[in-house]
Amino acid sequence: MKSNKIFFLLPLLLLLFGCGGGGGGGGSKTLVSIAVTPANTSIANGTTQQFTATGTFSDNSMQDISSAVTWKSSNTGVATISAAGLATSVAVGITTITAASGTITSNSASLTVTTAALRSITVKPANPIINIGATQQFTATGTFSDNSTNDLTSQVTWSSSNATVATIVSTTGVATAAAAGNATITATAPASLGSISGATTLTVTVPAGTGAANVLSITVNGSLCSSAFNASYPNKPCVSVTVCTPGTSVCQTVNDILLDTGSTGLRIFKQALSTPLNQIAVSSGALAECAQFVDGSSEWGPVQSAAVVLGGEPAVTVPILVMDSTFGTVPASCGTPAASPADAQLNGILGVGLFTEDCGPTCVTGANNGMYFACTGASCNGTTVPLASQVQNPVVHLPVDNNGVLVQLPAVPPGGTASASGQLVLGIGTQSNNTLSGVTAFPTNASGDFTTIFNGTALNNSFIDSGSNGLFFNDPLIPLSPSGWYIPSSTTTLSATTRGATGSPSATVTFQIGNANTLFGSGNDVFIELGGSLPGVSGFDWGLPFFLGRNVFVGIEGKSSNLGAGPYWAY
Amino acid sequence: MKKRLYPLFLLVWLSLAAWTTPPLARATLGESADSVESDRRALSGVRRAATSRDGYTVHEAVSDANSVREYVSSSGIVFAIAWNGLSHPDLTLLLGSYAGEYWQAAKQTPRKPGRRSLQVKGGRVVVEKWGHMRNLQGRAYVPALIPPGVSLDEIK
Repeated sequence: MKSNKIFFLLPLLLLLFGCGGGGGGGGSKTLVSIAVTPANTSIANGTTQQFTATGTFSDNSMQDISSAVTWKSSNTGVATISAAGLATSVAVGITTITAASGTITSNSASLTVTTAALRSITVKPANPIINIGATQQFTATGTFSDNSTNDLTSQVTWSSSNATVATIVSTTGVATAAAAGNATITATAPASLGSISGATTLTVTVPAGTGAANVLSITVNGSLCSSAFNASYPNKPCVSVTVCTPGTSVCQTVNDILLDTGSTGLRIFKQALSTPLNQIAVSSGALAECAQFVDGSSEWGPVQSAAVVLGGEPAVTVPILVMDSTFGTVPASCGTPAASPADAQLNGILGVGLFTEDCGPTCVTGANNGMYFACTGASCNGTTVPLASQVQNPVVHLPVDNNGVLVQLPAVPPGGTASASGQLVLGIGTQSNNTLSGVTAFPTNASGDFTTIFNGTALNNSFIDSGSNGLFFNDPLIPLSPSGWYIPSSTTTLSATTRGATGSPSATVTFQIGNANTLFGSGNDVFIELGGSLPGVSGFDWGLPFFLGRNVFVGIEGKSSNLGAGPYWAY
Repeated sequence: MKKRLYPLFLLVWLSLAAWTTPPLARATLGESADSVESDRRALSGVRRAATSRDGYTVHEAVSDANSVREYVSSSGIVFAIAWNGLSHPDLTLLLGSYAGEYWQAAKQTPRKPGRRSLQVKGGRVVVEKWGHMRNLQGRAYVPALIPPGVSLDEIK
């Protein structure tokens, strides 16, 4: 008898050895008993149940031997069971599940297959955030009409709403992150269970410190923004830019530069610059500029030539505005220019908007443009400026990645986060990292506007602006704070239609507006649900919250890409 | 009063030659439309059109910098101004007697980093600015002067 028993156990012991398992570590121990769990369970018809066989050995050690035993279902008309212990229901009824090894047979586990109906599916983990390239295993748990729950992970069909952001294996629930953004992960039960589905949102972020030559890191608040200014200014996207004296290796890197898709050209405060730059002259004097940003101030100072380095790209030499409110006599129309980084709460602004120059042809022919001035001594008067001397988008001068940019920022959870990290990718369709599918381009007009249809009104002065820190529009139904922020009693979901200035294409954008007072009191600085009013009657300013969880392209005028001819927004 | 406005309708230049004509004055908020003619300190603007609406007339002047629209009531008073373009106009000129209270209120209105709009309320005048580079917009109005039945939404 004894030798007989060892003979039967041999394959099991070899298996344990092969796995490096075995509590005793020797070959002398023998299997004494097998326990099958769960001992008494019920499942809805159409679902499965995993059973586990635990072996107890002669040295009192225990081990999971589920895949080494022989499983049996007493009534295969009710449920069948696989070699790995997975029972699959066949019809309503009761069956007994046992596991055996040699002469040892387990306890009898009762499995009842019921008529309970699937009521809901919960997908876990809820709202995970992972980096590009990482994978995430999702599970689906079904809740039935008898309040029982069952793991449906391998029975449901998995899908991703945005394959650009993440793909998912339809049978296993393993998602792979491909690009920054959001994807809704949905688990749908088979028709036999009622086609009920459950979902969660997967957010894909950009890992820090990874970048191709055409990439600049962005932090919304966070490390690239000056910590001195963070507290008072939420939703501020910052990059770092290197400026050099043209033709030399005299360079410096300046951080706390606002990434601004709503303007064109680089502007840096004199106080943040230690690198000498070359003053640009026009026929009537030294060139100066007044750039008006509508936040209660303007930026004034000389226009100088700088070699600008964006990410790992070669330096490009372009005119930039050196913000200096003490330069010459500020024209009356320029108001009171920002005097310092502390005044403006930034070191500079990188305008990567839709145009090559900030003014364009109008300033070539018209001296009274209100933007450009020629200064002789302290006297500054309106001047014409050749295109090449106007402050301009440094991206346009890059050797390859010069037709626009892609801004990638992660979604943030309700209530916000302290900071968020993303990237500015230079060029559109020029590299693998700026070629995305599933993107729609919306042409703008010559002013950089397209149309937003909101509450039934077509707003033709609509634009997408990373330098605006909220979604700004007019909705008389939402309460406003005295400072113009929306403060609904609870977060409200709204939708609008964005439309190209040419009349097409159109797409629906769903967004949320939360209570700004609550958000500002949270201690966080990055909010997807921050919004406020906009004076006037014809505009919609899609500010930074629009970028969170989206791939947003800015296509430059006069350039084309796989997405079309600029100027356009695409997402 | 309507008689005073009448000459303005003659000042419509539609040809390109109009761009090269001497600078034209603009009306001033709160004053009679005659200020268009009497005030020659103006920025270089070319008067393009006058449009009659229900209860008021809109006069538009276009310059290199912007397009400025003046809203003149049937009693001949400029009750609002709106503009858009590359830059904001010189409000000291356009606001006239309201300029002082505007600049005082503007100094007390804190800069709002991240906003692309601004509202400044003086004692009698309201100035609003919004927009972005290449399409800056704004309007100024005196609520007390707005004719009955005219909505703020019409000032754009």
